[in-house]
Amino acid sequence: MPSMNAVLFISFLLFSVGVAGVLIRRNVLIILMCVELMLNAANLNLVAFARHSGTVAGQAFALLVMGLAAAEVSIGLALVVALYRKKDTIQVDQINLLKG
Amino acid sequence: MPIHSSVLWLIPFLPLFGAILNGATGRWVKNTRLVDTIALGSMVLSFLLVLGCFAQLLGQAPANRSVDQTLWTWFDLGGARVLGGVTHNTMNWAYKFDPLSGAMALLVTGVGFLIHLFSTGYMAEERQNGTYYRFMAYLNLFVFSMLNLVLGANLIVMFLGWEGVGLCSYLLIGFYFEKEFCAIAGKKAFVTNRIGDFGFLIGFFLLFMVFGATDFDTLMGMTRTILARPEITLFGLSHAPTWWFNLIGCCLFLGACGKSAQIPLYVWLPDAMAGPTPVSALIHAATMVTSGLYMITRMNFIYVNAPVALALVLFIGALTALVAASMGLAQYDIKKVLAYSTVSQLGFMFMGMGAGAFTAGMFHVFTHAFFKAALFLGSGSVIMACHHEQDMRNMGGLRKLMPWTFASMGIATLAIAGIFPFSGFFSKDEILWRVFEGWYNGGHFNGSTLNLVTWIMGMLAAFMTAFYMVRLMVMTFFGEYRGAGHDPHGLTVPSEVVHAAGHDDGHDAHGHGHEAHAPHLPQEVPWNMWLPVAILAGLALVAGFLNIPHSLHWIGSSHFSAWLQPLLYQTGAHEAAEAVPAMEYILMAVATLVWAPAAMALAWWFYAVDPTWARPRAFVKRFPELFRWVNAKYYVDEFYQAAFIGPCKQLGAQLWAFDSLAVDGMVNGAARFTLLLSHAMHWFDAKVVDGLVNLVAWILQQISLGFRKFQSGRVQNYAFVMFLGFLVFAFWKFLA
Repeated sequence: MPSMNAVLFISFLLFSVGVAGVLIRRNVLIILMCVELMLNAANLNLVAFARHSGTVAGQAFALLVMGLAAAEVSIGLALVVALYRKKDTIQVDQINLLKG
Repeated sequence: MPIHSSVLWLIPFLPLFGAILNGATGRWVKNTRLVDTIALGSMVLSFLLVLGCFAQLLGQAPANRSVDQTLWTWFDLGGARVLGGVTHNTMNWAYKFDPLSGAMALLVTGVGFLIHLFSTGYMAEERQNGTYYRFMAYLNLFVFSMLNLVLGANLIVMFLGWEGVGLCSYLLIGFYFEKEFCAIAGKKAFVTNRIGDFGFLIGFFLLFMVFGATDFDTLMGMTRTILARPEITLFGLSHAPTWWFNLIGCCLFLGACGKSAQIPLYVWLPDAMAGPTPVSALIHAATMVTSGLYMITRMNFIYVNAPVALALVLFIGALTALVAASMGLAQYDIKKVLAYSTVSQLGFMFMGMGAGAFTAGMFHVFTHAFFKAALFLGSGSVIMACHHEQDMRNMGGLRKLMPWTFASMGIATLAIAGIFPFSGFFSKDEILWRVFEGWYNGGHFNGSTLNLVTWIMGMLAAFMTAFYMVRLMVMTFFGEYRGAGHDPHGLTVPSEVVHAAGHDDGHDAHGHGHEAHAPHLPQEVPWNMWLPVAILAGLALVAGFLNIPHSLHWIGSSHFSAWLQPLLYQTGAHEAAEAVPAMEYILMAVATLVWAPAAMALAWWFYAVDPTWARPRAFVKRFPELFRWVNAKYYVDEFYQAAFIGPCKQLGAQLWAFDSLAVDGMVNGAARFTLLLSHAMHWFDAKVVDGLVNLVAWILQQISLGFRKFQSGRVQNYAFVMFLGFLVFAFWKFLA
């Protein structure tokens, strides 16, 4: 039975990797994956706190987030496909239409 | 009671219709015979109507001899302020056919018709080049204007005709307007006449101010009332009625001077010879130039009560008669001689008027119309036969070649010289007698000295008249024809006729082929040219018997004077003073048996006895200065040029300079000022107003340049900032 702190630490590491990936990587697919990492870090937190407090609401909420993440990924990938068709690239540093 | 007629208006209007019809359609009418038919037809109808009216007059008692027609009210004078308060008269477009205007109308239509007939032959060249209809339309228009002048029942209709004949004269003198001297002569005639018209109008206005009416009958009827006034006040000036009558008479006489070519306004008439010869005959000898005489006779009620004006008429007439006759002595152009002769004869007529013998003056108008029209038309025939040569030195010997023309002109010459029984004897010598009588009987209207002086001038002029006419006849008709290069005495001069200029279409007037090297001998002109001349000469022969002077009453009576008597204002002053027959007999015998024959014999001795013309040459050599002055017409034209025309042109140039500098300068200056102002406005607008707007835009641009750095367009930048914000938020929450 891992301790609460260990779980939160793992979750923190996961989230940090996700944030770093989103901020650093240029490939949209990678960024989407890193977003998934961040969501899953949050899920891990929810489940850990649910077990710690002895209620099931957190676990239910984690399930909801998974569903939501699936929907988000599908929309995200659809956008990526559309973007690719439009711009022939999925590198975000080359997509700067909003540059002032 | 005057007779009312409903066809009187047709007399002037028929020629007008002819003029309109020919003028409007003639351009497209190929057959000029049709133009002839319209022009001559309207003249014949008009002439017949005049004859009809004249017959009507003859059937009436002298006091009732008047045919009237009022066409319409032209304008209402009601309300015009005149001497007697406010006038209530109406101005009508009315015609009046009385003994004077009837006789003039007979002259205008009769002589006018003959000259129309002559023109059909004389203007043969114009039939080809398409200007013939124009000539005929102008002639008809002239007859309309002239008939308006003589038939008008009041001064305004008369003035309409007065201006109309001036216009037609201008148009016809300048008929060959493509030649510059013709156009200039037309302008000269018109402008000179305008000076006279100025006087005429002033006189007319004064007359209206005094009488308040323009109708001739009304004016004459009012004269006695006006004269009875102690004084007349106009424009703040108070003078006796006679003073005003003198002023009116002098002003009207200025108009007559212009129209009838008297000193100082005679200069246009000799130049008017630039027009076609029928025009010279009709307008500048027979009819238009007599309108001044007609007007004075019409206004006799003014003149018999205006001694100063009458004296002026007498003196100017005598002076013109003398000066113009002397100018005629030294001219070589056949038409110029006749032109000065006309001016001189008009002077005689004015002399008659000035002596108070209005009927004698009018009688000379008639006889002069016959013989001078005959002379002019005859000279036209001569000119045409001589291939448009006008210089008498290049003529000669035409007596055998043109017998009809010679006979007609010979009769007319005897008439103008005043040989019994030709018409000029009766008319001219009556004028001279009446002037002489004025001195002999102590002067009816003028000072007796003036009468004597003018009588002497008139006698000298009559002598010169006989001289220059015989000179003209001898140079033209006697000796040998000098035009065909056959000139034993070296008398010809280089011809001024430029055949190529006006008549370059390769045909001569009478159908000859045009051969410059061997000109044909002149031939008699066709019948439609010599017949009018012969008729006029016949009239010149017999017309004198219409007015036999008192002293020759055993031949006949003075019909003409009696005929005009109802129109004359009866002063009642000189009724008793009839002629002194013995003196009259002597003068007439001297005039016709000694004076005129002496002048004619002198001319004959000068030019015919010695065909080399050695005597006139010797005379010229003896007095070169005299000849130079007379030949140059005393340099009057040059004097006018220097004294009036030049300064007028100078003044015009000065005014033009003022106009172009000051007036145009002001306009241009205003424009330039506006331009400068708008340039300044433009600068202000572009620099200041636009500058402010641009400054605002520039400031905003500079600010936004800073802001746009934030908008990198990179999604990861935005995510990073969002993450930082999240971190800040988290720390802030954590620390709190």
